[in-house]
Amino acid sequence: MSETYEYLFKFLVIGSAGTGKSSLLNNFIGNKFKEDRCHTIGVEFGSKIVNIGGKSTKLQIWDTAGQERFRSVTRSYYRGAAGALLVYDITSRDSFNALSNWLRDARSLASPNIVILLVGNKKDIEESREVTFTEASQFAQENELMFLESSAKTGENVEEAFLKCSKTILAKIETGELDPERIGSGIQYGTSTAKRLTAPKKPVRAPTECACRV
Amino acid sequence: MISEDCVEKRHEPPGYNSRSLSVAHTAADLEVLREIENVYFSPPSEFDAARYVLEHAPTPTTCEAVELMFTKLKRQQQVVSGKALHLISQQRDNCDREFAEIQIIREQLSKTLETCRKAREHLCTASNNLTISTFVILANVRKRQIIKSVLKSLELLRSLRSVEKDVAELLNKKEYYEAIELILKSRKAAASHKEYTCIADLSSRLQDTLDMTEEKLDSVLSSICYNFDEDVFKKLKKAYDLLGKTQAAMEQLHMHYSSAVNESAIEAVKPFTGEISIETKFQEMCLGVPPNKAPNCLLNLCEKLFMVMRSYYLLVDWHSKHDEEEKAQASSNVFDIEKNVSREYIRQKLKAGLIRIWHDVQAKVSTFLKNSGLEEYPFEKFIQMLGILRKLTQVAEIFCGDTSDLLQDFIKTQSVSYIKNYHRGRMEELKLFLENEGWEQCPVKSTFNLLNLQEFKQFKKYLNPSKADQSIAVKTGSQSDTTSSVHSQDDSVYIARYFKYKTTQTPFEIFRDENVTNDDIFGIETELEPSDDSEDEPDELKRDYVDETDRDSITFDKPAKSPSKVKESVIVTNTTLSVLRNCGQYLQISRYLPQISLEVIMLMNQLFDYYFYAVHLFFTTDLDVASTTLYSTKLSAALKRISNNINSPGEEDAKNFVCPDLPQHLDMSSEANLHGLSERIVAVESAIFLAKQFELLQPYLETIVAQHQKMILEHFKDNTLAVAVDLRMPVYMCSASKAVDARSALIAMSQVRWDVKNVAVENSPYVDMIIRKIQVFALRLENIASKVSLNLKVLNSIWSMVSKFIVHLLVEGFSNATKCSNGGRGLMQLDYRQLFVKLEKISGLKPIPYQDYVDRYVKAYYLPRNELEEFVLERTEYSNKHLLALVACACENKRDRQALTAIIESRESLA
Repeated sequence: MSETYEYLFKFLVIGSAGTGKSSLLNNFIGNKFKEDRCHTIGVEFGSKIVNIGGKSTKLQIWDTAGQERFRSVTRSYYRGAAGALLVYDITSRDSFNALSNWLRDARSLASPNIVILLVGNKKDIEESREVTFTEASQFAQENELMFLESSAKTGENVEEAFLKCSKTILAKIETGELDPERIGSGIQYGTSTAKRLTAPKKPVRAPTECACRV
Repeated sequence: MISEDCVEKRHEPPGYNSRSLSVAHTAADLEVLREIENVYFSPPSEFDAARYVLEHAPTPTTCEAVELMFTKLKRQQQVVSGKALHLISQQRDNCDREFAEIQIIREQLSKTLETCRKAREHLCTASNNLTISTFVILANVRKRQIIKSVLKSLELLRSLRSVEKDVAELLNKKEYYEAIELILKSRKAAASHKEYTCIADLSSRLQDTLDMTEEKLDSVLSSICYNFDEDVFKKLKKAYDLLGKTQAAMEQLHMHYSSAVNESAIEAVKPFTGEISIETKFQEMCLGVPPNKAPNCLLNLCEKLFMVMRSYYLLVDWHSKHDEEEKAQASSNVFDIEKNVSREYIRQKLKAGLIRIWHDVQAKVSTFLKNSGLEEYPFEKFIQMLGILRKLTQVAEIFCGDTSDLLQDFIKTQSVSYIKNYHRGRMEELKLFLENEGWEQCPVKSTFNLLNLQEFKQFKKYLNPSKADQSIAVKTGSQSDTTSSVHSQDDSVYIARYFKYKTTQTPFEIFRDENVTNDDIFGIETELEPSDDSEDEPDELKRDYVDETDRDSITFDKPAKSPSKVKESVIVTNTTLSVLRNCGQYLQISRYLPQISLEVIMLMNQLFDYYFYAVHLFFTTDLDVASTTLYSTKLSAALKRISNNINSPGEEDAKNFVCPDLPQHLDMSSEANLHGLSERIVAVESAIFLAKQFELLQPYLETIVAQHQKMILEHFKDNTLAVAVDLRMPVYMCSASKAVDARSALIAMSQVRWDVKNVAVENSPYVDMIIRKIQVFALRLENIASKVSLNLKVLNSIWSMVSKFIVHLLVEGFSNATKCSNGGRGLMQLDYRQLFVKLEKISGLKPIPYQDYVDRYVKAYYLPRNELEEFVLERTEYSNKHLLALVACACENKRDRQALTAIIESRESLA
């Protein structure tokens, strides 16, 4: 497949179970909305090339399981993520309350400069809303997050969420705040850029000065 | 008459009407009258008075007597005359009066006469007058007759002039026959009324109308192509019969069908393309369909084409029915024979048409598929596309009995290229997954296997261990060919329904229903397994194989558990699951496309290969001991085979798959986590689990490939799947070999004096050092076991690697002793025995594997010369350095030593 892009961003979608993370991802990469989606097992993966400020950027998105039991599996994917969508369900107070835990995990495990966007999903079922826009934006402000309310069902603000997050990352690269060359930044130069990031190979230990033959 | 009366009255005897006589006449006169003989009153014609008197003269004719008689007669005469006179006078008034009456009568008569004459005159006039008017009437009648005929002609003319309108009206009412009839009649009439100038040009106009009508018929005929309507067609046929153009109409109809296929195809595709000019070719249109719309477009295309096919099918059906009816009443006159010939011609034509139309349809669909970017279809859509095509081939079977090899071949090649392309995507994804894999154990139930995955739901019945044998036996017994034909037969009944009934539905409608499963689409019967229902709850498929309780219990119970008691559990990674899911999807494809099963299976195997290869690649990079004995021949062969298909990083070759980059995020150098042992375990065990799952699939896979292909599967099973367990050795050795620092251990060993006289009572200090290290290892391993559920096999294989490492370490250390006494040999034995006892306790392995290696080496010291020679020759597992050291210690005789050394050195050149 001949896909060219200038940057590759590693993205995470995190948040409590049942908040619609997979639906958001699926909507973003162009699949249909399913009412009865099963819980994600482990992590799932999706990618899409988007154009941000004239730069084609590949988003490599890891959609993590929200269920507690997968925490150890999913955590291993946090490393080196450049951006994350932190998702809660506006109709579930619990999912909102859990945000600070998720945030802590993300900040400690992923790249320290990770750009996080708070997403209040299920905007379409306004009638069962439990978390107001104001309190969520306040939370976002306090934790220096961007904030959007979206609906994976109607598609409202789904693409915007990913794009907004990507734009911020790109802006940070341009101002030098983020260094794509730094390992674990979650950013790679793509196929179309000349200076391809060649990860320094781990020095392969030469088969031993130890003389014992096994 | 009146006059007669009068006459008679005058003849009556005088006495009757006599008026009163004078008194003078009284008695004497009466006497005399009385004496008159009656005879005298006779009419003169009958009585001659003179003769009578003469006859009655008195006999003695004396004068006296005559005198007397004379006197008497005289008297009588007088009296009579008197009487008569008297009577006459008496009757005179009467007479006069009578006369006057007569006079009146006469006058009346003459008046009557006059009237009569006048009447006659009038009558005559009247009669004259009547005759003339009759003639006039006759004349008028005649005129009317003429006018009428003129009028008739005029009316005819008028009707002729309105023929066009009437025909149009009839056509609107779909009375084609009547319309044609009308035109033909009119034409005849027009021909016979040529003398009217006003319709002189009519006949040519009628011809035009006829032409137009034929055109109209033709257009109706063409509309038949899209939706066959028996009634309309009957009318058309009648009309064409009337025109005598039945055969020509059939030809025309076939042309229409051809163009209908074309038109339908274009119509179906058009809504999906962007703006296109009218001249765009179908092929170009197909290219213009965006890939995301292509599946719907295909569906639309098939539906539209099916409508045409059904219409044609109904046409043929109608004809065959109609033919039978006609045959039943056929006689053998010339006309009928001619008709039969034409009918036979049409029948042949129709039959050939079936195949021709199907070829057209096939060509359209193939063109569409070729140009619609089939490779870009999402998986589900591809399956759906296969379903649609399958249905189409079934339709074709009903339609014309064609097995649609063309399409089948096309489907096959397209499917292979699709799945290859799809596979490429999956492989890229797998690479990404592997590169990002954290090698954390995914929490699943200890009974988890691939059947719990939704992707394998449909395969349950084939794979359920208890049922597998049965169903497979059934399958193989009846051979795949027959089973498939059974399917298609069922399907054919089902499909035929869409042809028979008057319905606007098509067999493709099913694809529009979102709830329809692929099985429904493919008509694969979903067997109900009531007995399994309890385990088959869909919920379980969705998430319940994820094991919460097990996981909790492990974390809680851990401190109390010794590693050896850890129960069986399943180690899978996120990537393992995704590989399995991909396999499920691949199998779905092969299920719907049995002919490419083998290709699909090979791709599945590639997934496994890649996983297997990556695990090996990732976790043996730091293997710092020589590897020959760690790799079974099969394992080496498998890895070599796989690496042939995988590019080394940086190498760009489109054909092969790119080697995954070594993960940077794993910590495999810290001693605290035993150099990533937990990740290594998860990786290797998940690969083994994956292999097991593949093995679980084998019986099913064998049923879907051809007999001669089974070998390939078996080969893969024996030479790749079965060697997954062999990964344990090299991978675990990476950690195990770091359990004890070889360098310091060897130094410690070299400090031991082996040329002691007496056999020591205590083991050397290096043993304690090694044991301490092993204890640390055990503790750390236990730590890992709290994160990853380790079963006995894993533990044993780790420990056996540890012991393998240790025995080699010991041999290496012992061989460093250039001088060795019997006591030294004894010490060696004491040391390693001690070590093994401890190791047994720690590891739970009994006996410690590989101990023979050190045991045999140490004891070879005691062998006599010839046996030692044999030993040196046969024991290739020891290096020359080992053997030379052995010989140096064991042979006191210098000559022997030299001879053996020579043997060892020649052995080296041999090897």
